[in-house]
Amino acid sequence: MLVVQIKPEEEILPKISSKRLFIFECLGCQEVYFPTEDVEKFIDNLKEEIVGKASLDYLCNREFVKEYIERYSKQIKKAQILLVFSCGVGVQIVSSLLEDKIVYTCCDTLYLNGFQGLTVQEFNCDQCGECYLNYTGGICPIAQCPKHLLNGPCGGSQNGKCEVDPDIPCVWQQIVDRLAKLGRLDKLEELVTPRNWSVSLISEPPVKRFP
Amino acid sequence: MSLIDYTKFRLKPAEEVRGTFKQINRIFILSCAKCYKIFEEENEEEYTHLLDILGEDHKKIVGHAMIDFLCNNFLSEKRILNLDLSNCDSVGVISCGLGVQFVAKLLEGKPVYTLADSVQQSGNSTTEIGYHGISLEEEKCAGCSQCYLNLTGGICPITNCAKGLLNGPCGGATDGKCEVNSSFDCAWVKIHERLKKRGEKFTLESVQIRDYSRPSLKLKSDLSLQNQTLRGEGFYGGLHPLEKKGKTADKKIESFPEPKIAVIFLSQHAGRRAEPSVRLGDKVKVGQKIGEADGFISSPIHSSISGKVISIEERIHPAFQRKDLAIIIENDGGNKFDPLIQPYKDFENLPKETLLEIIRERGIVGLGGAMFPTHVKLSPPKKIDTLIVNGCECEPYLNGDNRIMIQHPKEIFVGIRIIQGILGVERVFVAVEDNKLEAITTLNKFLDKSSSVEIVSLKTKYPQGAEKVLIKRILDREVPSKGLPLDVGVVVSNVGTVFAIYQAVVEGIPLFQRVITVSGENLARPGNYWVKIGTPFKDIIEYCFDKKGGGFLEEYELKMGGPIMGISQTSLDSSVIKGTTGFIVLRKPPVKVSEERDCIKCGRCVEVCPMQLYPLYYSLYGRKGEPGKAIKYNVEDCMECRCCESVCSSKISLLSFIKQEKEYACSSNKA
Repeated sequence: MLVVQIKPEEEILPKISSKRLFIFECLGCQEVYFPTEDVEKFIDNLKEEIVGKASLDYLCNREFVKEYIERYSKQIKKAQILLVFSCGVGVQIVSSLLEDKIVYTCCDTLYLNGFQGLTVQEFNCDQCGECYLNYTGGICPIAQCPKHLLNGPCGGSQNGKCEVDPDIPCVWQQIVDRLAKLGRLDKLEELVTPRNWSVSLISEPPVKRFP
Repeated sequence: MSLIDYTKFRLKPAEEVRGTFKQINRIFILSCAKCYKIFEEENEEEYTHLLDILGEDHKKIVGHAMIDFLCNNFLSEKRILNLDLSNCDSVGVISCGLGVQFVAKLLEGKPVYTLADSVQQSGNSTTEIGYHGISLEEEKCAGCSQCYLNLTGGICPITNCAKGLLNGPCGGATDGKCEVNSSFDCAWVKIHERLKKRGEKFTLESVQIRDYSRPSLKLKSDLSLQNQTLRGEGFYGGLHPLEKKGKTADKKIESFPEPKIAVIFLSQHAGRRAEPSVRLGDKVKVGQKIGEADGFISSPIHSSISGKVISIEERIHPAFQRKDLAIIIENDGGNKFDPLIQPYKDFENLPKETLLEIIRERGIVGLGGAMFPTHVKLSPPKKIDTLIVNGCECEPYLNGDNRIMIQHPKEIFVGIRIIQGILGVERVFVAVEDNKLEAITTLNKFLDKSSSVEIVSLKTKYPQGAEKVLIKRILDREVPSKGLPLDVGVVVSNVGTVFAIYQAVVEGIPLFQRVITVSGENLARPGNYWVKIGTPFKDIIEYCFDKKGGGFLEEYELKMGGPIMGISQTSLDSSVIKGTTGFIVLRKPPVKVSEERDCIKCGRCVEVCPMQLYPLYYSLYGRKGEPGKAIKYNVEDCMECRCCESVCSSKISLLSFIKQEKEYACSSNKA
């Protein structure tokens, strides 16, 4: 789940000072998390001339953005800088559609656990391409162990807590507990072939299946 | 338009799967129905493939369930726990790593095997994964929390450079292609070209040292928690739209000027249309009955002004948006009241039947918008033990109910006593969302502490005011599929209706006026008004917006009700009816997104549906022209809150498909 935060003012204001602005504001994931009110406050406080503003759902959808660009073509032409409030995907879409315009983003993007799925939750999946969960009782050491250890605990955990961050549980401790509960601790003695890191490192480009 | 298939997993290599099957005897297979791909049909590709691989071993499979959005832990938990897993010794999961981890935790006592590998989405060799947005474009974002795009012309080197370089090209690119994988463009070449086009230059001075400690774990966990709390608050699904109530929240209810001509529709309630009881040329007084209820589920109509009936003709009905019969009355300015309007002094001692008769005769219907005749609601065929008075008003902009609670708390409590008497219930809850603090404080001030009435403040979230949601939230009772609140012993009544009951019973006043909020964008006089039923929308616009009606509908969208569930108006000759909660004027979106796009299974409709339905199937079958199939996805339980439609990332008019399906379901039920 991608969420955005407004960049620090000192990072963005010098770039746009006394320029004519056109603003793109994404409303798409606002239901998930988008600081719509902060964005409005930020815009209200700008001293620069704003020649137009487009607020739309799903700035990550190229077709929608195209239609808005067409509608606001005059204002966009007048603007010296296009200011975008959205996640990194939206910014890239706008800049790719208006290649000769200077496009600046006002936001930093981060993702929350469970992003590649639909709901924020405690689990995460690194999409490593070679699922390890069969060896580890369904708890992922790749996504959840700060050291990404695959061959057992590092030995540094105390009272079941991680030595890197005592707020998080030691994933290997959880794995052992889960397997013990299942009566399958022998799983840990199985020899596992070395990982094929090339699966995750250089994978096929995503398939374009719908021309 | 080219869209990318972002399916997150594929079946593990055949040998590995066979190896897993050697270890087990009886397995139950759960497969995720995938997400972020064009949704054309229900397919069980992976499962069929699995059967092919297994050969004889497929006999070890004792059951299979396809689950949409397996990682949606709330809905999936319900569905998985409903499955009969007693017969198996292990569970196999075909999904991305999220689904597997979730199932493994949920079924902790059972071995859970993954039969799939997740598919990498970044397509390069960086350590950062690129995440796509909601739609299926090529651009990806690593969510690195220190966006670099301002320096690199809007092309991300983190997700696009195979080496993740941030300070310029590595020098290994040939003809603009990456040396790591020549099927990729060199991101830095693209960056330089883009910057040149923009008249900018990449300067090393502008590069700062990256802070790899960002995003902090603390921030991420705080945001996750905030997100989960907001999402799960009170009930599953729902939205947090911007409230925009500030404009009218503090405005006292004023009387709206009387209309010169009133257009009073004969159908202002659920059920049969009222029969006109006046004729052309008749003189009528305020509160005089002009339409007679036609049957049990029907309601009489009263004149809201004094004057002369100048026509009985068809006008565009604001709720149905088709022509319907209305009585047109010309105001004589006399404001003479019908002599039959007399207060009932001893209403406390009236028998239940008389009270119901008064409520019926005074034309009281549900004022929350549905307009169900109140006398019918208050004569339930089943035993009722709880009354919920609904003061949630969860739609943005609206404040009518809020103001009634602030200005007429005493009357509301009298109204509650009357309903308690009719229904014979003790327990009463008045539900108010916590964004209406003044209303909550006022009600508490006038609350008779010895009574069994309780004011409950609920966390604000749309659609809190939907009756099934309220019942679940307050009483933790679930109204059965296709059922009504009375099936679980509850009557839910809008706070405005309670006030109307007070007026009808105590003051003898029929329902010829109501409180509406007029708000929205660019208005001169937003406010809460007592408006006569039959006041044409034209009058409201002229009064509140300082604008003549001409050309108005091209520029603005007019909604009767709130901005989410409200009904878009096509004629200013339509008029206020009993179900008009508000009148919201919004600027039309500058761009009308021309065509609906394919459903891409982003799953947001499922995530927001408070009835826990799967709206994407309604559009799938609707578009395919296969009515009837949606019934298995409980389309009849949809309460048309429009949450799904308002978040749809492909802008599909889900509600129109839902209505079609509901009609089909209704007619096939009858058949």
